[in-house]
Amino acid sequence: MHDTNVDTTKFFFRLSSSVSPRLLLSELLMKKWFEPAVPFTLLVALILTLCLTVPNFATVRNVVSLATLYPEFGFVVLAMGLSMISGGIDLSVGAIFAFCNLIALILLLVLEWSIPGVIMGTLAAGAFVGSINGFLVGYLKTRPFLTTLVTVIIVRSVVNLLNQEHALTFATNYVESDAWDFIASGQVLGIPVNAMTLIVVLIIGHILLSRSRFGWRLTAVGASRKAARHAGVNVNAMLFSTYIISGLLCAMSGIFFAARQASSDSFTGLGWEFQALTAAVLGGISFAGGNGTVWRAMIGGLVIFLLNNGLVRMGVPGYITSSSVGIILLVAVAIDVKWSKNSSKASELLYVNPTRIPLARRPSIDAGDDNPFARNDRLLSSEIFGLNQVEGPEDVILDRQGRVYGSTRDGNIIRFSGENFKRREVFAHIGGRPLGMQFDPDENLIVCVAGMGVYGVTREGEAYKVTDETNRTWYKLNDDSRLRMADDLDIAPDGKIYFSDCTTRYEMTTNALDVIEGRPNGRLIVYDPKTGKTHTEINHLHFPNGICVSHDGQSVLIASTSLSRVYRYWIEGPRKGGLETLLDELPGCCDNINRASDGTYWLALIGIRSPAFDLAGHMPGFRRRMVREIPVDEWLVPSLNQGCVVKFNDAGEVLESYWDPEGVNHPSVTSMREHKGYLYLAGLENNRLGRIKIEGADTEWTGFDAYWGDPQKGSA
Amino acid sequence: MGRFTYLKRNLEQLVFRNRDQHKIPTMDGVMTPNNLLDALEEVGGPVPGADDVALGPEGTLFLTAGNEVLKLGGPHFENRSVFMNFESETGGLTFHPDGRLLVCVSGEGLASINLDGSVTWLTSVENEALGCLTAVTAASDGSIYLTDGSRTNRSADWKRDLMELNASGRLVRCSSSLTDSEVLADGLHFPNGLCLSSDHKEVWFTQSWNHSLSRIEAGGISTGKITTVIDNLPAYPARMSPAKDGGFWIALFAVRTHLTELILLEDDYRKEMMRSIPVNYWPGPELRSTSDCMEPMQFGNIITLGVKKPWAPARSYGLVIRVGRNGEPMESLHSRRGGLNHGICSVLETDMYLFAVSKGRGQLLCKILGRSDERN
Repeated sequence: MHDTNVDTTKFFFRLSSSVSPRLLLSELLMKKWFEPAVPFTLLVALILTLCLTVPNFATVRNVVSLATLYPEFGFVVLAMGLSMISGGIDLSVGAIFAFCNLIALILLLVLEWSIPGVIMGTLAAGAFVGSINGFLVGYLKTRPFLTTLVTVIIVRSVVNLLNQEHALTFATNYVESDAWDFIASGQVLGIPVNAMTLIVVLIIGHILLSRSRFGWRLTAVGASRKAARHAGVNVNAMLFSTYIISGLLCAMSGIFFAARQASSDSFTGLGWEFQALTAAVLGGISFAGGNGTVWRAMIGGLVIFLLNNGLVRMGVPGYITSSSVGIILLVAVAIDVKWSKNSSKASELLYVNPTRIPLARRPSIDAGDDNPFARNDRLLSSEIFGLNQVEGPEDVILDRQGRVYGSTRDGNIIRFSGENFKRREVFAHIGGRPLGMQFDPDENLIVCVAGMGVYGVTREGEAYKVTDETNRTWYKLNDDSRLRMADDLDIAPDGKIYFSDCTTRYEMTTNALDVIEGRPNGRLIVYDPKTGKTHTEINHLHFPNGICVSHDGQSVLIASTSLSRVYRYWIEGPRKGGLETLLDELPGCCDNINRASDGTYWLALIGIRSPAFDLAGHMPGFRRRMVREIPVDEWLVPSLNQGCVVKFNDAGEVLESYWDPEGVNHPSVTSMREHKGYLYLAGLENNRLGRIKIEGADTEWTGFDAYWGDPQKGSA
Repeated sequence: MGRFTYLKRNLEQLVFRNRDQHKIPTMDGVMTPNNLLDALEEVGGPVPGADDVALGPEGTLFLTAGNEVLKLGGPHFENRSVFMNFESETGGLTFHPDGRLLVCVSGEGLASINLDGSVTWLTSVENEALGCLTAVTAASDGSIYLTDGSRTNRSADWKRDLMELNASGRLVRCSSSLTDSEVLADGLHFPNGLCLSSDHKEVWFTQSWNHSLSRIEAGGISTGKITTVIDNLPAYPARMSPAKDGGFWIALFAVRTHLTELILLEDDYRKEMMRSIPVNYWPGPELRSTSDCMEPMQFGNIITLGVKKPWAPARSYGLVIRVGRNGEPMESLHSRRGGLNHGICSVLETDMYLFAVSKGRGQLLCKILGRSDERN
């Protein structure tokens, strides 16, 4: 049942263990930019179909002609999209477009204004109608749907009235103007001027929406008006300006249409609001508001435009075209509702992706067996101290004065001193969940804090940040630049801080899932205090936990919890940069590693590999269904209710073990620290610290001196 | 094949969104957990393997334990003596109205210990051996009713029988003389206890693996219709006995957990587990919990800040319930996680006492009952 032929130190193996289609899908589903994937595919498929079925579709001439025809509709879709992102809807886009077209023609042909005047006047007209909408929706708090519906009726009747009055003038008058002709049919860099304008507007719109305060506020208002107001956003003004922008966009559309067509009738822009609505929803701009980009509006707009265009050119009657648009609207709305409700659930459901865990052979731990793992009662004689004065100290450490440091779940570092460690004080408050600790040469206590990063505490008890981010892995979808769960650290002779970030996919509260998943989601990170830079040293490690710099300072020992292995990573010497397995075939999940006085190492085993869990380790499907179908408390996990500390040497030989086999004194030992002949014990779920006397240990040896030398005796 | 069942399950979850994943009822109402079982008094010292108890003549008690039948006499049942010794494990026992002691012997059959000390055997029914007799009871007309848990496993191998998803148990009736016997019901999910209704017209019996309580007409022929009274108990029922008010006491030897229910659906895992892991390290119900770290652990069982959570999923549990005449639950006695008296295999109410046998602990327990009208 065990995998001895798998070399887990090989980067390729670890990388490939991080890859799964299901995992990719769940990570894609969490990406905002992935949301328009379906409409985009639809657009590409539509273009391909049209290329194949409509004659002369894929020609430059046709593309240019489509690019001339599309922008007017594009502006209108954009206007609609913008109002939807703000959480409303602007049904008057078609009417404003028709109105502005008419106004442009009146200004040009009846009032005979100059071209800039015509443009400015038309824009002002669009903005004016938009401002009416905006005033009603923003300040009088009317419903956008009804408000803009009323606007449609009024504006449409105005258009019809003016049309009747001026229809003759439009038909007979004619203006000779290069500027106007340029607007009608000019080209910039071979692109029709209206398309070029649309592209510029889109880029500005994109930056405005995604990179500006205005855009963020607009999205916030759309997502939740109440929350936005509580956050201090001027909701009324935001909505007011949104509808003005919407009106302006329709006005641009009207100008180009007027220049190109020079005509107006009661059918101009009729039904465009529904086409634009369909396009926006189809593109993935949610009805619920707060979710959308200009590109999504364009994807939807292009689909509707090309569909209409294609159907017309295939000779399909108009009523079929409009009904097909109606059906598309229905389907798109249905998908929109389902998607916004379920996509997060789907990615949650797909998020945990167990894989086969390449566990080595499990050695016997039977009491009386002739092996170093045989269960014994050696931890039962421990002296317990700090009972109920610590909460889940993951690590324990002693300073040069022999004071003991533990931690609590609410982010305090607790110091015990005096006789029998009776005196308790809160040494520092960092916050987060303090885990591994180590002293640097200046006697600052460096602490790994889950959820925050690596922090330091000065001798005076002042906390400061060491690092909280590393370089992002370029090929990962998940942004892994933040430190999710810094777990344990150690400091090399050159002062570099090596620490483990045990998972990039889970949190402190859900890290059991990482062990159940069994994928290499963790990494070894190094912080160089000289440069202040943080850098991921080894990516894709299976739950790296304990970190210890070897006695000779040449390598870093890395404990992998989910693989029950210890690696050695060379940081100096001829094999620098090499990763090798130091210990496998361990009976349990490794936690912290620390130095022992006799040149060996202590290793805590947080969990014992029960046969039932080992079997599950080989059955990823079983574990996947387990986490999905049954409650957290019911999950099968490695046995966690015992204490076990083992001792091993640089040759990778396990020498002995210390057990509290039933967790009477110290269940879940996660760390141990030797100090002057005693071994101090801590546990992630414990309410106590403890120590046992080690037979035959050097009673003068302390961790601090072993690392940084004893100033009284001179450098070590 | 496995893959298909998993796919089917996935599809079912999509289509029937509101269907319970594993239908384990919540223990609430009269089933609300308490510590009443742990409050019971011990009757004498430990009896390893104690299984079933019966009230003998002259205020004595008879207890099956291991291969023996013990006789407990004296005012406080302090005088223990070995009444009978068998070749293999003894299980259910009862007294026949004519004074004979009937004992289920694993792998052998039903032993009828006559008043003169001689033993008569019923070893098979309809030419099939009775290898897994779990409980026995006798009616006032002299006919004897038996439950045979499984055709393939002995009663001690009950956990394997569960994991093999077996349903090969039988309900058997035989004549007072053990000469004529017939199968009343077949294909049962490990019938593990039975009792006659107060009017002796019906046999009520439990089935462990489908967690049910059922009844069948006592006089009926082998095609008698089985009526399910409770179809979804939160625990695995074992033996039953009559309660004074005409209802029944039911001992439940372990509670169901979602993990066990999941493993019962996971064919690949379960088969490999049965093949490669020693039975005491299988996930699933047990009669007793140990702190052995080789045993499977469920996440809720982690000792947090020195506290063992009593509501955590229980590998073993103590549970006795009393149901009324129509099978409606009336009261329950629990020993929760961390409690002592787990794995209750039988319960017996007498005039003065309520006895319970904790097989998990190997201990006979009792509660001195007040006046019978106190309980209403």
